[in-house]
Amino acid sequence: MKKFLLLIAFLTSIFTIKVNALVDATDKFYINDYANILSEDTEKYILEHSASLAEKTKAQIVVVTVKNLEGKDLESYATELFRKFKIGDKERNNGLLLLLALEEREFRVEVGYGLEGLLPDGLTGRYQDEYIIPYLKEDKWDEGIKNGYNAFYKKICDYYEIDSSEVSVKEVEANYDDGAFIFVFFAAFYFGAFMGSSFNIHKRSKKGLAFIITLILNIIYFIVVYFFFKAFLLVVMLFEGIIFLSLMFSTGSSGFYGGGGFSGGGFSGGGFSGGGGSSGGGGSSRGF
Amino acid sequence: MKKKTGLIILGVVGVIVAVVIFWAVTTYNSLVSLREEVTGKFSDIDIQLERRADLIPNLVNTVRGYMEHEDAAIERVTRARENLLRADDVDDKSLANSELSSALNSLLVIVENYPDLKANENFINLQDELAGTENRIAVARRDFNAAAKSYNSKIKKIPTNIIAEIADFDKIDYFEADDGKTKLPEVDFD
Repeated sequence: MKKFLLLIAFLTSIFTIKVNALVDATDKFYINDYANILSEDTEKYILEHSASLAEKTKAQIVVVTVKNLEGKDLESYATELFRKFKIGDKERNNGLLLLLALEEREFRVEVGYGLEGLLPDGLTGRYQDEYIIPYLKEDKWDEGIKNGYNAFYKKICDYYEIDSSEVSVKEVEANYDDGAFIFVFFAAFYFGAFMGSSFNIHKRSKKGLAFIITLILNIIYFIVVYFFFKAFLLVVMLFEGIIFLSLMFSTGSSGFYGGGGFSGGGFSGGGFSGGGGSSGGGGSSRGF
Repeated sequence: MKKKTGLIILGVVGVIVAVVIFWAVTTYNSLVSLREEVTGKFSDIDIQLERRADLIPNLVNTVRGYMEHEDAAIERVTRARENLLRADDVDDKSLANSELSSALNSLLVIVENYPDLKANENFINLQDELAGTENRIAVARRDFNAAAKSYNSKIKKIPTNIIAEIADFDKIDYFEADDGKTKLPEVDFD
């Protein structure tokens, strides 16, 4: 019966994903390359610049590439995506979305309410014609998107009176996808649980020894994790530390299952998210 | 003894009356705010419709400089714009807006014969502005219809419909889809 229920839950979750045709924001938020056409350099460039811009002005520039629009028209897809991602600040609505649909060969710039004065539809169209579409016509995705991104980036920087040549580019470590991250997290989690429970079962008089052994093993574990993954070490250590301490000071010998609540925790360690902005459909579209 | 029973009945009736009044007031208030929301969404459409109308004279002027024998198409756009500005309820506005879309479409079909105009920077700019405004209208229309739908279904549902009936909350018309985009443009060849 339980298995049956699980199966139902599993199937409905697939169904839900299917029904919701829009793509989800990745943990990088500013760059979502679902069509898989951009180089790592470009992605890193956009991520760092957008993150630093958002830090200074709360304006958010988001780039999304999709394989196809799932039968929707470009304009409504862009507006729905904009609203789903909540691009831009909630008060200022200063978000900008650059959307590329690969199969349809269409590009759209969607402007949040707050930037409509700075980026009128005509201007977004001209920027596309001048900086983006010529490249996209030749399938030069990296050049086109980066070039267009730069044009809009500079325009927004000027508006907020930030010297765009002076903007310090924020270093962001985001080379790890969710899978690797969750793996590290759970590995640390269960390792800690295992360590704790195996020592806790023993007599309390040996707590001192157990403490030292666990500490040493944990240090070795961190070194291994560091060399393999490098990222999120701090977060892992923090959680590991909490687990470790709670084990050491817990009096029960039943181990560690009380801590299971962590798994569902919203874990956006270095991730970004939308600021609550919205769009009313401003912007322009082009085919290429 | 009898006095006590009377008091209890009075108390129970009093509580029921209080609950009913409380329910009526909160329901009424929620209907009011729903209706306000719909009105607000409609004014969003209105703003975009006006903006669209404002763009037309510019477009007409630009187009006139290039076209010589297309007065009929241009005049149709101008007339449709005037009708849109005159319209004052939801129905009229959505009708006038559709007519303007269809007039603009016919004009843009003719523009295809004028490569110089098509490449004109000012014209491209205006066309982007118009397309953007049309898209804004579409978005505002969807938002308005969604709000109107939740309001309309609320005033029909039991028991809210009692309050809606007493306080005269009427059904709100939907803003019909702008089918000018899908309709084949009529081209005048004379």
